[in-house]
Amino acid sequence: MNNKRLSLAEEAHLLDAQLATRRLFLKQCSMGLGALAFSPLINACTSDANGSSNTLFDPTKPLLPKTPHLPGKAKSVIYLHMAGAPSQLELFDYKPELKKLDGQLCPESLLKGKKFAFIRGVPKMLGTIGEFKQRGQSGAWVSHYMPHLAGVADELSFLKAVHTDQFNHAPAQLLMQTGSARLGRPSLGSWVTYGLGSENANLPGFVVLTSGGQNPDAGKSVWGSGFLPSVYQGVHCRSHGEPVLYLDNPANVDGNMRKASIDAINQANKETYKEFNDPETLSRISQYEMAFRMQISAPDVMNISDEPAYIHEMYGTEPGKESFANNVLLARKLVEKGVRFVQLFDWGWDVHGNSTDTSLEIGLVNKCKQIDKAITALILDLKQRGLLEETLIVWGSEFGRTPMHRILSCRW
Amino acid sequence: MNRRIFNSLRWAFPMLIVGGVILIFPDIFSVKDKDSFYVEEVKPIINKKCISCHGGVKQSAGFSMMNRASFFKKNESGKPAIDISNPSQSELLARINHADPMERMPSEGKPLSSREIKIFEKWVDLGAPWGEHWAYKALSPVKIPSNTSWMGIFGGNKEKENAVDAFIQQKLNENNLKLNPAADKETLLRRVSLDLIGVPAPKDIADKYLKSTSPDAYKMLVDDLLKLPQFGEKWASVWLDIARFADSKGYEKDGNRQIWRYRDWVIQALNKDMPYNQFITEQIAGDLLPNPKDEHFIATAFHRNTPTNDEGGTDDEEFRTAAVIDRVNTTFEGLMSTTFACTQCHGHPYEDIKHEEYFQFLAFFNNTRDEDTVEEFPVIRHYEKTDSLQLLDLVAWVKKTATPKRADEIYSFLKFLQPLVYATHADLFVNSELYDTKYLVFRKKSSARIKDVVLNGEVRFIAQQRGNSKKGKLTIRLDSLRGKVLGQFNIPSTEGKWAFTPFEIQPVYGKHDLYFSYENASLTSDTESGFTLNSFHLDHAFPGNEGDPSKKTMDSLYWTLLRKNPPNTPIMMDNKAENVRKTQVFIRGNWKVKGEVVSPGIPKVLSNSFNLTKPNRMGMAEWMTDKRNPLVSRTLVNRLWEQLFGTGIVETLEDFGSQGTLPSHPELLDYLSWQFMNKHRWSIKSSLKEIVLSQTYRQSSVVTTEKLKKDPNNRLLSRAPRIRLSAEQVRDQALHVAGLLSNKMYGPSVMPYQPEGIWASPYDGNKWKLSEGEDKYRRSIYTYYKRSSPYPSQLTFDGTGRNVCNARRIRTNTPLQALVTLNDPVFMEAATHFGQKMLENPGLSVNDRIQHGYHILLNKPISPTLLQPLVKLYKDSKAYYKSHSELVNEIQLENPDVEDAAFALVANAMLNLDVIITKN
Repeated sequence: MNNKRLSLAEEAHLLDAQLATRRLFLKQCSMGLGALAFSPLINACTSDANGSSNTLFDPTKPLLPKTPHLPGKAKSVIYLHMAGAPSQLELFDYKPELKKLDGQLCPESLLKGKKFAFIRGVPKMLGTIGEFKQRGQSGAWVSHYMPHLAGVADELSFLKAVHTDQFNHAPAQLLMQTGSARLGRPSLGSWVTYGLGSENANLPGFVVLTSGGQNPDAGKSVWGSGFLPSVYQGVHCRSHGEPVLYLDNPANVDGNMRKASIDAINQANKETYKEFNDPETLSRISQYEMAFRMQISAPDVMNISDEPAYIHEMYGTEPGKESFANNVLLARKLVEKGVRFVQLFDWGWDVHGNSTDTSLEIGLVNKCKQIDKAITALILDLKQRGLLEETLIVWGSEFGRTPMHRILSCRW
Repeated sequence: MNRRIFNSLRWAFPMLIVGGVILIFPDIFSVKDKDSFYVEEVKPIINKKCISCHGGVKQSAGFSMMNRASFFKKNESGKPAIDISNPSQSELLARINHADPMERMPSEGKPLSSREIKIFEKWVDLGAPWGEHWAYKALSPVKIPSNTSWMGIFGGNKEKENAVDAFIQQKLNENNLKLNPAADKETLLRRVSLDLIGVPAPKDIADKYLKSTSPDAYKMLVDDLLKLPQFGEKWASVWLDIARFADSKGYEKDGNRQIWRYRDWVIQALNKDMPYNQFITEQIAGDLLPNPKDEHFIATAFHRNTPTNDEGGTDDEEFRTAAVIDRVNTTFEGLMSTTFACTQCHGHPYEDIKHEEYFQFLAFFNNTRDEDTVEEFPVIRHYEKTDSLQLLDLVAWVKKTATPKRADEIYSFLKFLQPLVYATHADLFVNSELYDTKYLVFRKKSSARIKDVVLNGEVRFIAQQRGNSKKGKLTIRLDSLRGKVLGQFNIPSTEGKWAFTPFEIQPVYGKHDLYFSYENASLTSDTESGFTLNSFHLDHAFPGNEGDPSKKTMDSLYWTLLRKNPPNTPIMMDNKAENVRKTQVFIRGNWKVKGEVVSPGIPKVLSNSFNLTKPNRMGMAEWMTDKRNPLVSRTLVNRLWEQLFGTGIVETLEDFGSQGTLPSHPELLDYLSWQFMNKHRWSIKSSLKEIVLSQTYRQSSVVTTEKLKKDPNNRLLSRAPRIRLSAEQVRDQALHVAGLLSNKMYGPSVMPYQPEGIWASPYDGNKWKLSEGEDKYRRSIYTYYKRSSPYPSQLTFDGTGRNVCNARRIRTNTPLQALVTLNDPVFMEAATHFGQKMLENPGLSVNDRIQHGYHILLNKPISPTLLQPLVKLYKDSKAYYKSHSELVNEIQLENPDVEDAAFALVANAMLNLDVIITKN
């Protein structure tokens, strides 16, 4: 090999050529490396061991956009997870009868026909405090907790049939995000990025932003890639300071030298791959390329201070502060740039009413204030940019609440 | 086995009998025996398709598939699901095959596949054998497979024979695979060093091994490594994830916690190869040992690593309960690979564990003195040497002058500040308040009550209190504000500092509610606080005869020692008999809704006829370390295996239950577990040694296309795994090769470089203060661990949050990790120094310098293909730095030149190489 320094694009082509023969083998062997990584799953789900020959995972371009089997309307997802248990009964699920039953013993009609594990005695009913009105043309019920969102009710679909069999936050979050309450399964965002790739090669395909002062109880596993190649796990970006920690080069290294050193590292790692044949080495090569591209693109995307004043007014954002609103605005910027999946976690929604912060009267009101304006702005903003048509916004949590008084656990 | 069914089988299914045990059904599945047929084939379908309606949580139609008894019971239809006398007419089969979707089971979702139905049919035909889940069977000796090809691989060298290989080879043979040839000496050296001590081997040990031509060289290397003190540091990192060890209390305030002595205890215990049964006994019940020493108490801090919530307004009982629940869950998940937490609210959905059994187990932990107080009571106080000698003098004097019981009481109070009544129990506040839900504050004219105080004729009320006023008067009455006066005293000012102050009280016996009333005319307003009570201790008169001159000396020594404020460590200690805490079932897991009272007990499915003799934590430890316990040794050897091979024999380290994965090599797991308890007498070092001496461990990690195809996830171990280094190892290795790593052991946590703005600790003024000198370069296990904000690079490399027990770190590979090792100032500093190492020998060529660096990293020559890009980087960067002196000047060295800058960059690249980040 000559000593001429290659551009990243040239580098990628070279890498492609070098790996072509190996890829051929990998394609022949079932479905390529990706398939190797998740073959246990495939074996568990289908009796057809051969599968298709369509390679989903190209180890050298893991985030290349892919065409789904069926055309989909949405190009990107913004998933807003309220960690805890926002009460559906206070927000969107209007239960006038419940209000009448407040303080009374749980009627038999609620318990009858259902088998509860260890129900002893009869709990009291908890009527809603939320003042509900029908909104928009759809007539959807939205309570006073969400005055702004109520104004865009016609943009919302309500799914009131979500069910969990988990009883603790951490496993329930895992269940919501990975489909399993145990560690080790890929998260929704990593599945989507795995299946569809990402539109922007210079940013992670799956970005995670957190607010509310804490990360989700279940930790990083809720955006992990499980048994999928680890390149598909969510990248946790910071809400203040350097958007991504250690994004900046050390003072003695500039962009040119960083590029030169990453070229050298990846060149050497390709040799290592030849020696060991370890798929993780390929993954590492693409991670270093991604790291370099992130260094260039991320600071711009992750900076909301350049947004016009009316946008800040609309979202309720304050640049430099850690807030859900800032993250929502970032989410818009990220999907605009072609990031496939943006996951927001907002902590502090465990409103089971045993203390001020978790009370329906104060805690829930405060939490709703923090999100109501921003989510509404996101919908309107995406709409005015023509992006709402192709962006799926999901709002949810790992739990709702039971209609009983001061009963802490057991959601069903 | 039911002989009749067995016979009928002989013609019903083509079948091979091997060794009288193994049955093979060539039509769809091969199984070893009928019990495993249930465990491996039937139970997974039940778990997936049936149990959510017919299990431990719900029993629709009165039918539960949780255990054999419930399965064969008549359900609401009046019939059992399976009719053993007429199996083909069983309701179960009728319902899963039913044409009417309203009648067909499962009632929701798709019908069972034809394969699943066949499995049920076969199972019913077999007589519905109810195999015990593999993990709950007691261990028994396991026969080592003797297969010729296994013997063959050692060329008849008996010395090299290793049972681990026999089990691994047997599975490989079944799949027409072979072990790889042994890895080269240098690769093996680095692999076993990283695995046993967490860092590259010290130079003398490495050189000795590399130069040795002895056939035992590798074995000697292993012995040398196992003796190094770094062994304890590496394996403590693993343990601290289970122990959820952290330097802060967690939750919202997340203040500092002094508990590093527990970490020291773990490192020391591992280094001296404390038998694992003793290791866990001391951690669970060290305080209950006969004549416990300080270190036994410190060991019990294992279960004081639970978060405590200092946030004002929180209910201490809620978080005390949360801590107790966490202890139960940690004990099960971390030490017995069982998810027990779900049984908090209801019967276990998948295992035969009842809701009540959770609380019986919880009762073992529920009698401890900790109550989520801000001081983390109870604690052990660590007096300085002279003070602790004086304490011994004092205790000896009391023993001689009074009674051993008095000596114990005085020792307990000075050493542990126990027994102590916490003011957080107060209620009936009149112009008084439990300030910040922590301290009982009395104002101008105020009162409060503390219920259920047991009095034994004590005459001294020793208050832990503070206040600024000298004029206050406190009156304590029995059972009402107008009750008998227990004591009345003027409260001195402590000038705002906490102090222990003694007051005289009347001797009274029995359990009483104490009513405190406080008056202070000097306070100007109703809202001004006069006196704050944190806790109190009741004591008898100080021993000794009046007139005995030594009494005065000793009394004064007592107060001196009590008022010392030595550092302390939170520990476990039980309530005394008169204050035993009652344990009740929490109905549906709600700690506020209590059901039947339970006493300590072990879940039946796990007891294997163990007879619990002590209804306390010691009894629990005895059960855990009894050889009939099916889980403790399996869990530990599986964890050792996972550390060495990257994946456990059971992949789900956190769950051996029926929702976890099955062991890849069940006989090997049982063999190692049995060996661990018996041959190795619970020695972690001996077990590790047995495994690392195997050819399986020593083989090369190169993978061929054939192996990748046949064994894509390497579950058969047809090659050694390549594993990315752990968070700790990545940093420690970089510091080590740079010559920066300090080998200082033990002591309080340190704060290496961390970027600004990571920490937020608004309440206690705690700051990330860069440690000085070598403390900046200590091994990562000593890095301060703040729960709400763990050290960033550690978290990026999959370090855990340490809020709850973490049984398994899931390895990831992300661009953020690349950014850490490229840009984190800690790694750049290491690279700068590593670059200097390459430059230290004058007169070497660039190639030789890089070669030298590579040798420091991997002890072997660099291949030309790896060398070439690094040399190119050197040349390019040197040329570039010549014209960019502003970059050169940023190098953290004195008078840096272009050469320093270029080598810092090359070193930085080398520390990022896949072969360096990975254990090969």
